[in-house]
Amino acid sequence: MKIEKGIIASSQLTFMIIGFIQASNLLLSFSSGIVSHDAWLAILIAMVLSIPFVLSYAALGREFPGKNLIQISDIIYGVYLGKIISVSYVFIFFALVCQNLRYFSDFLITFIFPETPIWAILIMLTFISAWAVRAGIEVIARCSFIIIAIASTIILATSLLLLPDMRFRNFLPILDVPLQDLIHGTHIIFSINYLEIVVFLMVIAFVNKPKQIKTSMVGGLILGGVSVLILEVRNTAVLGTVSEIVSSPSFVTARYISVAEVLTRMEMFVAIMLITTVFLKVSILYYAVVLGSAQIINLRSYVPLVIPIGISAISFSIILAGSSMEQIHSAIYTWPVFILPFQLFPVLSLFIVKIRKKFKKRWANKK
Amino acid sequence: MRIGKGMLSIIICVFLVLSLSGCWNRRELDTFSILMGMGIDKAEELGKIQLTAQIVKPGDLKSEGGSDAKAYFTVQAIGDTVFDTVRNFTKETNRKIYLPHSQVLIFGRDIATEGVQKYTDFFVRDHETRLRTHVLVARGEAGKILDVESKLEKVPAVGISHLLKAQNATSEAIEVDLKQFICRLMSKTTAPIAPLIEISGEGEKETLRIPGIAVFKQDKLAGELTGGEARGLLWVIGEIKSGIIIIDCPSGEDKISMEIIRASSKVIPKIIDDQIYITVKIEEEGHIGDQECPDKLSLPDIKELEQKKASVIRSEVLASLEKAQKLNTDIFGFGEAVHQKYPKQWDDLEKRWDDVFPEIEVEILVDARVRRSGTLIESVSQ
Repeated sequence: MKIEKGIIASSQLTFMIIGFIQASNLLLSFSSGIVSHDAWLAILIAMVLSIPFVLSYAALGREFPGKNLIQISDIIYGVYLGKIISVSYVFIFFALVCQNLRYFSDFLITFIFPETPIWAILIMLTFISAWAVRAGIEVIARCSFIIIAIASTIILATSLLLLPDMRFRNFLPILDVPLQDLIHGTHIIFSINYLEIVVFLMVIAFVNKPKQIKTSMVGGLILGGVSVLILEVRNTAVLGTVSEIVSSPSFVTARYISVAEVLTRMEMFVAIMLITTVFLKVSILYYAVVLGSAQIINLRSYVPLVIPIGISAISFSIILAGSSMEQIHSAIYTWPVFILPFQLFPVLSLFIVKIRKKFKKRWANKK
Repeated sequence: MRIGKGMLSIIICVFLVLSLSGCWNRRELDTFSILMGMGIDKAEELGKIQLTAQIVKPGDLKSEGGSDAKAYFTVQAIGDTVFDTVRNFTKETNRKIYLPHSQVLIFGRDIATEGVQKYTDFFVRDHETRLRTHVLVARGEAGKILDVESKLEKVPAVGISHLLKAQNATSEAIEVDLKQFICRLMSKTTAPIAPLIEISGEGEKETLRIPGIAVFKQDKLAGELTGGEARGLLWVIGEIKSGIIIIDCPSGEDKISMEIIRASSKVIPKIIDDQIYITVKIEEEGHIGDQECPDKLSLPDIKELEQKKASVIRSEVLASLEKAQKLNTDIFGFGEAVHQKYPKQWDDLEKRWDDVFPEIEVEILVDARVRRSGTLIESVSQ
């Protein structure tokens, strides 16, 4: 019995990861206050650090072709321990859905619709993601190409239009922040911007050519990371110290565009880019929650779970934090530490699998 | 009872028509008043501020010739904080103020002397304001500046914004937008600067004039740079766009005017034995624009002209440096330059920068060139 019949191409996996990481440029402001103009360095270090982790996720996926995180935990840790692990992962993915929904709605309310109640935005975004999730992973994967095409064009176009306003002296002196702040900032970017792609352990089972998973995951990570890096460089070069105090540097930077006083007010393009990429990110996380819960309780189809989980995600997003300041505080000080074990755990699983394999071989040889 | 598919789609359509026709924050053009310029002054009542808003009347913008109707009007409101006062405008205007088109933000002299930091937060925090807004300091009351009609533009605030751009021709004042102002304000050492504005003439002849640059110490107005002093600052920070340099003819009488075509600068800090030395390298290129003396200029004469030009530039830079050191305001960003090159020593220097800056020795190296002589090869002579 197979719960998801869809198959995705390995290139689509790359696109999904790029879009997933591009969506998180909204979350860069968490670290920009800590690492100030060295943010680009933190982004680069975090990207390099995440490559081995992503490689081990891909390796874990290859050890169990056609099996996703839930099934893998069942196999490695047995039914009971495996179920506990699966439930906690599903919970984490659910929390990620809610956090992304909440932070994105806060952004929209702050900059575009100041008097709109948050539930109106949450319902619309969740509804459209629920639609995508119901349609299955294939549809989300096909969307991803269009979405990253739009997002990348907007990133490149706004960066080019801002070239005359960039002051690269803003980056000097390099490594101006104390080391512990740099580590803190890097950790935030590492676990919030990059390693949230641990959720792809729920998706890579559907890739048609398992051999290419490794290249497409690392490729997606690097391409997505580079586009976030371009955004960060653009923001710091244009805004200087102001980029450390605004809650969405990308949006404010795009608002600064003025080419001959004719080409102005381009910030809506950045909003479009954020809406589309956040839709992709939320859909993937949402899909992982729905699929994971369906597998845990052995359903034949995950479709009946889509709406109930969506509704609880909306209400959970609302009660998640009393204010956007509260959410930013938790994103800076507690969440990266809380989520880190979940991002390291697949590496441990891979380790266990490898050791077990080795011992089995030795055992077989002895017999 | 099952609802048929057709019925369901009709219900969905009706629902969408009702819900997607507009959003909570929809605002039509005729429900808000578009702010073009804002002036901040101290109110007569203690501790309160007075804002003057210049609001455009879209209907009168188009009227051609004939009608004498002004395309704008100004209103004033008094309040405790900036945001409070902005909302208080609605007590006099029937429409809510709309900020995104604001061109200029003018600080009155009294408020600038008292400190502007507490009045800038709103203009960055609010989601409607833009960082491209020009920042100016009025010699006198900001509200009065906004009352002066522009001779060429329908809306005075647009006139002020164009007036600032026109200063490129002399490079004796500088365009500063809110982002640049905030960046300097947030720096611990670099002093904020903003162009000055004043009313010249009286009655019918009343016009606006940009006399120079206002210099802040932290967030308080400390002094003014005018004429050559102001250009001295622009030489160092590399903002020279154009301008005229007047030097004597090689024969000694009469004058030659040189037009600046392009200029660039480099600030190189050096620390030797705990002593800071700054080298400012300026490269300038220009041509002869106006020659009063009838002499035919030989090649050695041209070299002499270049040297004279360089010494004029040097004296301008020296004048602004002297003023800045006297006011103890690091308008050139020397502190940032030292910070960028010597990050390790900076922690200590930053704390005592106020003591260090007035004593800094600055070396000025100018490389000035005369490239062309206009459309004439020889001067017009008898």
